[in-house]
Amino acid sequence: MTEARAITQGRPRLPEWAITGVSVAVLIVAWVVATDGGFVDDLFMPSPSSLWSGFMDLVVDGYKSRTIWEHAGLSLERVLAGFVTGAIAGTVIGLAMGYNRVVEACFSPFVEFLRPLPQLAYLVLLIVWFGIGETAQIILLFLTAFPVSAIAAMDGVKSVSRQRVQVARSLGASDWQIFRFVVFPSALPEIFTGARLAIGVVYATLIAAEIIAGSTGLGWVILDAGRFLRSDYVFVGILAIGLMGLSLDYMLVAIEHRIVHWAGRY
Amino acid sequence: MMDTPNRSRDAASFLLARPRWLSLLSVLAAFGAWWGITAFALVPAVLLPSPAEVAAAAVDILRNGYRETTLTENIASTLWRCGAGFLLAIVTGVPLGLAMGYWPRIRAATNYIVQFMRPLPPLSYVILLIIWIGTDNRSKIALLYITAFPIIASSAMAGVRSVSQQRVQAARALGASQWQVFRYVIWPSAMPLSFTGARIALAAAFSTVVAAELNAATDGLGWMVISASRFLRNDVIILGIILLGILGIALSALVVAIDRRVVHWRGIE
Repeated sequence: MTEARAITQGRPRLPEWAITGVSVAVLIVAWVVATDGGFVDDLFMPSPSSLWSGFMDLVVDGYKSRTIWEHAGLSLERVLAGFVTGAIAGTVIGLAMGYNRVVEACFSPFVEFLRPLPQLAYLVLLIVWFGIGETAQIILLFLTAFPVSAIAAMDGVKSVSRQRVQVARSLGASDWQIFRFVVFPSALPEIFTGARLAIGVVYATLIAAEIIAGSTGLGWVILDAGRFLRSDYVFVGILAIGLMGLSLDYMLVAIEHRIVHWAGRY
Repeated sequence: MMDTPNRSRDAASFLLARPRWLSLLSVLAAFGAWWGITAFALVPAVLLPSPAEVAAAAVDILRNGYRETTLTENIASTLWRCGAGFLLAIVTGVPLGLAMGYWPRIRAATNYIVQFMRPLPPLSYVILLIIWIGTDNRSKIALLYITAFPIIASSAMAGVRSVSQQRVQAARALGASQWQVFRYVIWPSAMPLSFTGARIALAAAFSTVVAAELNAATDGLGWMVISASRFLRNDVIILGIILLGILGIALSALVVAIDRRVVHWRGIE
């Protein structure tokens, strides 16, 4: 379509990266003019220079006795603890659910109930039960990752082609061999898709958990800075959260490419 | 005596053939366990109220309301916030996504913004929205809007880009105008992915709604749960969780039903 348009309209086209560059430049200029020109209050939108000094403050002096790296590290630890436990438990249960209708019937009401439930709703209960602290947060993240991974693993098993299973069986494969060499590899791409979804949700939930029930971590930094109307810290925090989220996703994609290199090639 | 194994095998096969009954049984077992734990006081009653207490709380809140807000009002305002943010996101996100899919220049100029917003946890900018807009309903709806918007826009864009080029060229070769190509080729092919995006976006908006009601709200189910936690009203918390769960399931079932009706050609290409 692009070539067709270019031919019919017959005018030279800016390459797309140039358009993106122009668009970014326009945004940055607008930001500088709006803030340094005094059109927008520093409280609403910090200027580039105050954003930079805010960043340096957070890196050098830290926020409330911890540097931003330490806050980010604490957030990362929680995400990984909740995600790894939740994804493993969810995948195991999900595989069983896909394999066995009894298991599916027993677990699916709870998985279906948990999945759309706003995480903050049960965080409140977890705080009452376990108090404000790491335990409540990690259980919360576990419960967040669990249904997402379980449903993905179940769908993965269910999408395995029957013919393959039957072929393997008629060639004399044992149940374990069928699982190990047919079902599991076929379900793995979906399991990874589920893991990516799960880590996204877990990460978003963690920020929420830190805002309600934390005293450390990037989410808490944003909340606390917001209370003192330090919008430069809030902006730095949002950027840091965004970048960390993106790198978590890239990390999983990289692992996925290594392990499930056959995905999409049947 | 000889009957027992047979009969239990009959019962087992009866249940196996009817997974719904098995699910019901499993839910009942969970309620039974809950009842048992509270009845034999295995955990302090402050921490886990009994099913009867939660039911009593439900009746009480239905009759008298929770802190002067009735249950229907709370459900209605939660649904209203969710619906308003979601519909705004549809109204703006679908056209932008379609345009981004159709015109590479618009995509180049806007895609990076959408892709940066998409993975950003909604609660991270809730503070900004409060600073910018204030604490009233508008900032809550804005939060849900920003949650849903990038998901909807990206999926509409992906929908347009998934349209087979052959079809577009075939339609054009047969003399279809730009508008006709869009209306009869691109739009129907982009619908399934757009709808999938809408489903994911609604789920995301719904799971953010409690966060939206965290600050300075006076109604809504999320507000009810958070407020109950301050007064250690665990019966109200559990009631709220059950209601939010049921509402979540109902919302996603609703969208699936609409999807089946509207995009009835899904999967039969």
